[in-house]
Amino acid sequence: MTDAMRRARRHMLARTGLAWLVMMQVMMLAFPGYLRDGARAPDAQASLEQAIVLMNWLSLILCVPLVLYCAWPVWHGVGRDVLRRRIGMDVPVALGILAAFLPSVVATWRGAGEVYFDSVSMFVAFLLTARFLETCARQAVSGQTHPAQDAGLLHAADRLAFRFVCLQILLAVGVGLYWWHIQPGHALAVTVALLVMSCPCALSMSVPAALAARHAARLRAGTHSAGEADALDAATRRIARQNLHGALVWHLLMAPLAAMGWVQPWVAAITMLLSSLAVAANAWRLTRLAAPGSHGRAAGAIDAVAG
Amino acid sequence: MDILFLLLPITLLFVLGIGVAFWWAIFAGQFDDTRDAATAILDDDDHAHPGPP
Repeated sequence: MTDAMRRARRHMLARTGLAWLVMMQVMMLAFPGYLRDGARAPDAQASLEQAIVLMNWLSLILCVPLVLYCAWPVWHGVGRDVLRRRIGMDVPVALGILAAFLPSVVATWRGAGEVYFDSVSMFVAFLLTARFLETCARQAVSGQTHPAQDAGLLHAADRLAFRFVCLQILLAVGVGLYWWHIQPGHALAVTVALLVMSCPCALSMSVPAALAARHAARLRAGTHSAGEADALDAATRRIARQNLHGALVWHLLMAPLAAMGWVQPWVAAITMLLSSLAVAANAWRLTRLAAPGSHGRAAGAIDAVAG
Repeated sequence: MDILFLLLPITLLFVLGIGVAFWWAIFAGQFDDTRDAATAILDDDDHAHPGPP
């Protein structure tokens, strides 16, 4: 691993870890806000409202470094996209963060209204977790030369993610405007949920994760015959395709639910993390198949997967 | 209720302290290699060295 790669990984880990630290604090501070609508004595309600205002301010203080420092790769990516005049996966992410963060700042300042600091911090923390996995996967395969098939698969996944982002932004804006006409109070939450879900984290890590797992599998199994290597390649492509299709199906299932307003922004953030982890876990199966000590069985298992 | 004015700033200080410690640990290289440190003791050179008298 080169020095630049090690530094990039350290920065990524620092941003991810600090985002998780902030997220846990903000979730705790958001809890009184969830209790606001319960039935209680007027004086208890008054002191609860007071506590909520205090905790919102503390959440705001914690979220400023989260948005400025932890989410820096997102702003950096948006700046690069603007210079190149194209839409990358950072654009919907940036829109999602801003759409949840700025109204929350205004609501905190005025001391009234909904705040979404919990959604913002969860979104950033989960997004960075997925990106960290993706960084590790891409770094693991960066030194290798890719055969044409792998390059084609990588390219196809990136193109698919790009098209998906464009569609999802249009959907989020359209659905947001629709809700604005029917029920302005819900429009923001629905739009944020859709933007959170438009992040193609799982899509963009699906192929690199499979290639990285194959790299690890090769290292573990050592040198093997041409037949076994071919079986491993076939299993890799199969798992990469499974990842891609699985991520796509998840998007297609979740988007209508979010558009109907059934998915809270923080639930959207959790499902986003789960889809990314599922992709990583599915790719990891490759290394288990090629584990040493189960060499004879491994070849059979790879054949079964490659089927 | 008033106790919150004391407890919340203390929370903030704790979070700050933990964040700084975490940051330091990462850039001191403590998370660079989480696997080999555990097995390093097994790779130790066990041959007897002539120690100082």
